[in-house]
Amino acid sequence: MRRLLLVVPLFVALCGPWLSASGDTLHGVSYDLGTGWLGTDFAGRDVWQQVLLGGRGLATVTVLATAGAYLLGVLWGLAAATSRRHLADELLMRPLDLLLAVPSLFLLLLLATLFPSGGLVWIVMLIHLPDIARLSRAAALEAAHSPVVEALRLQGESWWRTTVHHVGGSVARTLAADAGTRLTGTLYLAAAASFLGVGVPPDAADWAVMIERNRAGLLLNPWAVLAPALMIIMLSVGLNLSFDRALRKP
Amino acid sequence: MRPAGYVRRRLPLALAQVAAVASAVFLLAEVLPGDAAVVLAGDDPDPERIVRIRASLRLDRPLPERFAEWAGGLARGDFGESLVSGRPVLDLVLDALWPTVVLASATLAVLVPLSVWAGVTAALHEGGRFDRCLTAVGVALYAVPEFALAVVLIVAFGGLLPVTALGGLTPATLVLPVAVLVARPLCSLSRLVRAGMIDALASGYAVHASRLGVPERRVRYVHALPNAVAPAVQQLARTVDWLLGGVIIVEAVFVIPGLGTLLVDAVADRDLPVLQGLAVLFAATTVLVNLAADLAAFRSAPRA
Repeated sequence: MRRLLLVVPLFVALCGPWLSASGDTLHGVSYDLGTGWLGTDFAGRDVWQQVLLGGRGLATVTVLATAGAYLLGVLWGLAAATSRRHLADELLMRPLDLLLAVPSLFLLLLLATLFPSGGLVWIVMLIHLPDIARLSRAAALEAAHSPVVEALRLQGESWWRTTVHHVGGSVARTLAADAGTRLTGTLYLAAAASFLGVGVPPDAADWAVMIERNRAGLLLNPWAVLAPALMIIMLSVGLNLSFDRALRKP
Repeated sequence: MRPAGYVRRRLPLALAQVAAVASAVFLLAEVLPGDAAVVLAGDDPDPERIVRIRASLRLDRPLPERFAEWAGGLARGDFGESLVSGRPVLDLVLDALWPTVVLASATLAVLVPLSVWAGVTAALHEGGRFDRCLTAVGVALYAVPEFALAVVLIVAFGGLLPVTALGGLTPATLVLPVAVLVARPLCSLSRLVRAGMIDALASGYAVHASRLGVPERRVRYVHALPNAVAPAVQQLARTVDWLLGGVIIVEAVFVIPGLGTLLVDAVADRDLPVLQGLAVLFAATTVLVNLAADLAAFRSAPRA
C-alpha cells in the first residue's frame, strides 16, 4: 500500500513524458468529459496527457532544490561550527535568523516578486537554507572542537579534509534523519508556488498549475482537477510514509 | 527567572528582528532594476513619462533620505500608498485583516482542543487502535499541500456546503477552509502531545502522585498535561508560520478576500509598498507568536 502510493505517482512523473503519445493533444472543446480518457481541460487539451506530462517538472524542482539546499546549508553550517572566531560564527548565523522570522510561503512570494526571472529552484533552496545550516551547525559543534580535529589542524591538514571529511561525517546521521521531512517540505513549497503561479508559465503542463487553471470547470469536468490533485496527494503521502518506515527500522 | 524579566530580555531582540526584516525588504526592492515608476508606466514605457512619475513619487531623491522618510513613516504607522489603487497601505491591510483573523482564530479554536484531546486519548491507550490510526493518518497527511486537499474536499462536499466566501464569512462557508487548515498542524501537534503525555505519565512525579492516592484524573490533567503540552506549545508557534502560509493558499482556493488574497494580488502587480507593509506585519506576527509561545512554555513548565 505504502509502496503503491509512492511508486504510482513517481512512475507517472518520471516516465509520463515518454508514455504521452503526442505531447499536447488538442481536442478543441473545453471541459468535455466525452473525449479522451479523462476528458479535456480549460484549453481543450487531453487531461490524461497533461497528467502524464505534468509531474516531471515538480519532481525535478523538488529534488534539485532539496539537494542544493543541503549542499549549501551543510557547508554553511560547517563553516560556522568550525570557525575559530566567535565573530565569524555570528556573522554567518545571524542573517539567517532574519529569514526565519518570515513565514516561508510569504518569503517565497516576496522573492518571486523581487526576482521575477529567478528560478523556483533557487527560491525554494534559499527558504530551506537557514534550517539546514542551523541544524548542521548544531550537530557539528561538538565534533568540530574535539581533540581529533585539533590534532588534524595542527598536522596542517587542509580545511576540506578536516571539516568536510571528519566533521561532516559525524553530522551525516542527524541530517539523514531530517532528509525525509525536508524532501516532503520542498515538494509542498514547490507545489504551492506553482499553484500560486510563481515560477511556472500559466499554461504549463504541471499538476499544481492544472489544479489552479481547471478549478473554474470543477463541475463540468472534475477529473481535470481531481487527477492531478490525487497525484500530488499520493506522492506526498507515499513519500512521508516511506521515510517514516525507513527511519523506524535503522 | 520571572516571566517579566524574560520578556524584558527578549523584547528588544524581537523588535530588532522586525526592524531588520523591514529594512531588508526596503533595500532589496531598491537594488533591483525597475522601480515603482517603471511599474506604473505600464507596458509601453516612455522614458519621459517614467522620469515624471519618478519625480512625482519623489523617487529621484537619494536613498538615505528616502529610507529615513520611509522608516519615519513606519514608526508613525504610515506604510505608504499602494501603487495600483493609490489607497494607503494601512487601510488595505486593515480591510483584509478581518477575514484572515476570523479564519485563523476559527482554525486555532478547532485545532488546539482537538489536538490536545486526540493526543491525550492516544497516549492513554498507547498502542491501541485509535493510537495506531492517529499515527498513520498523522504521518500520511503531514505534508499534503492544502490546495490539493481543498479541491478534493470541494469535489466531495461542494454540493452540501458553499465553497466561496465572497458574500462574507459565515459558519457554513468556514467549514471547508478550516477543515483544510486544521489537517496539517493537527497531525504534528497531536503527535507531540501524545509523546509528551506518554513521557509525563511514565515519569517519577506522576507515578509518585498515583501512589500517594491522588485521583487519576487529577494526575493526568493537573500534573501530567501541563508538562506534556510544553513542547506542543513551541510547535504551535511554528504552526502559525504554516497557518499564514496555509491561509494564503486557502484564501486563493476559497476566494476569501483576506490578507492572502491581498498578498497574491500585490505579487501579481509588483505593488512594493503593499508587500513591504505585509512583510512588516507578517514578521511582527511571527516574532511575537514565537515570543508568546516561549513565554507560555516557560510558564507551564518553569525551568532554570
